[in-house]
Amino acid sequence: MIEVYNLSKIYNPGEFEVKAVNNISTNFNSGEFTAVVGPSGSGKTTFLNCVGGLDSPTSGEVIISGENISKLSGHKIIQYRLKNIGFVFQAYNLIPVLSAKENIEMIMLLQGKDEKTRKNRTDELLNQVGLYDMRNRRPSELSGGQQQRVAVARALASKPQFVLADEPTANLDSSSTSNLLDIMNKLNQSEGITFIFSTHDQRVIERARRVVTLEDGIIVNDKE
Amino acid sequence: MSVLTIIKISWRNIWRNKLRSSVVILSVVFGILGGIIMIAMAYGLNEERMNNAVETYLSHLQIHNKSFAEDFNLKHSIKNLERIEDELKNDKRVISYSKRIILNGMLSNSNGSYGIQVKGVDPDQEREVTNTFSKVISGDYFKSDRDNTILVGKKLAERLNLNLKSKVVITFQDENYELTSLLYRVEGIFKSGNSRYDEVNVFVKNSSIQNNLNEFSGFHEIPILLSDIELRKEVKTKLSELDSDNLVETWDDISKDLAYANEMLGAVLYIFMVIILVGLSFGIVNTMLMAILERKKEIGMLMSIGMNKYKIFLMISLETIFLSLIALPFGLFLSFYIVEYYSVVGIDLSVVSAGLENFGVGTRLYFKVPDEQYFVVALMVFIIALISSVFPSLRALKINPVEATKSI
Repeated sequence: MIEVYNLSKIYNPGEFEVKAVNNISTNFNSGEFTAVVGPSGSGKTTFLNCVGGLDSPTSGEVIISGENISKLSGHKIIQYRLKNIGFVFQAYNLIPVLSAKENIEMIMLLQGKDEKTRKNRTDELLNQVGLYDMRNRRPSELSGGQQQRVAVARALASKPQFVLADEPTANLDSSSTSNLLDIMNKLNQSEGITFIFSTHDQRVIERARRVVTLEDGIIVNDKE
Repeated sequence: MSVLTIIKISWRNIWRNKLRSSVVILSVVFGILGGIIMIAMAYGLNEERMNNAVETYLSHLQIHNKSFAEDFNLKHSIKNLERIEDELKNDKRVISYSKRIILNGMLSNSNGSYGIQVKGVDPDQEREVTNTFSKVISGDYFKSDRDNTILVGKKLAERLNLNLKSKVVITFQDENYELTSLLYRVEGIFKSGNSRYDEVNVFVKNSSIQNNLNEFSGFHEIPILLSDIELRKEVKTKLSELDSDNLVETWDDISKDLAYANEMLGAVLYIFMVIILVGLSFGIVNTMLMAILERKKEIGMLMSIGMNKYKIFLMISLETIFLSLIALPFGLFLSFYIVEYYSVVGIDLSVVSAGLENFGVGTRLYFKVPDEQYFVVALMVFIIALISSVFPSLRALKINPVEATKSI
């Protein structure tokens, strides 16, 4: 469970300060499939960055399974992210010199998992995202949708508590979007992993089971 | 993540932009080549100068009377000559030796006078020790039956307008410090490759001096050639024990400037090599900084998903080091090939012959690189690569994953 208390992120504190996230408090339960929506500049990305421990909040706390990650710093937060959080980026951000299989495997290498575990998990995920036959292709040899599916598989490789995805479908066509959402939904249910993603995309919002709407850094709507 | 995986990623990363990496690698290859060619030319010149000096006038060892080194008077001849000759004849390390009478005086003709050193030699013995006979460019090397013939250097001949058969008078102090003059006729003109040497040294038959100085007997200088130049110290020690009135010197004792140049050369060349490599390292650092800028997002992503700073540092450092280390064998091989080729064929530098003659070398330069220099250069490249890798790696660590990825 993710508990967020009075979370604020203020850029340029002082004369020209911008309150990207303004005193947000909310919870995300295990197994949720949640969309964080809102117009550009509403604070979606900053909110997810703070929840994922990528950015440190100006004030407030993020407690994940009882651990206050807002207080972690340096090596500890890196290790925490590695073990507990999966990330999916809008621009996929796969490593171009590694194959699809190696990109997925890399996060387990970082975790120090043994070869057999890595291979089994990689094959399992490649099958789940439907890219087993393309496992040896490099990102440049895959379509945008296929790359994003690899990115999702990579995010899940470490069996994280939850996956944060920022605009995961922003660069995808309708068919790829639908396909990706099906996969994410299936993985959410089969692996029990919490998915929280920011989006503008109405097709994504329609598939979410909970929608949190942000405006000017404040939650203006939160509905199941 | 094992180091092997990081090595694999780093290796693949450098081939992402083949053109850019190739340009950097080529620049390092040519930097190494340039540095080694510079070393080869400098060592080649120095060795040529040293060999020229050893073969033309120094030899490996020389024996003098100790007093002769302070007062170049005729009377200070070598002591215990017979015992020395016995020793030299029986020592297998000694290839040949000669006996010289040395006079310091003036050579005059109708055009003027010039201070010279006369080497009174046995022409046949001298052939075995020095190469003067092969440097005669005009006339003959003591073919005449007459005693009073002289070989003069080209530079001296030009200075005093001497030709073959020109008459010259040598004036010097005899053993009683009385001025004595001897008349000679030019039989040959030599050009040793060292214009300064050619200007102040002349050769005559030692019999021409002995026959004209009835009270004088003996010799002032014994130049010795050994089977290996490296044996000079041990042979010197043995010969020094024969008579304490004599002074046995190696070529580097006699010609301190040559020996010093030999020692200093290595250090000076290292400095130049470091300057070249530091210049190249800026190119490598610049390339890596560009690569990091291009991959800011990717590095940010790696940081986001949990790659720690040590691994990021290692990955970027390895990329930088690989660029240099790929170039290293190519640079060394190319240099080795070129050096080997020109160490046999040589480079014709006759366009600057006058300057080279003043320096004491001929017009053909043969490259030379001591084997250990390749190792030193390799070590330098490796160290420079290590140092170059630090700055880009530190720069990569400053990347903020939030800013780099723009989003999570």
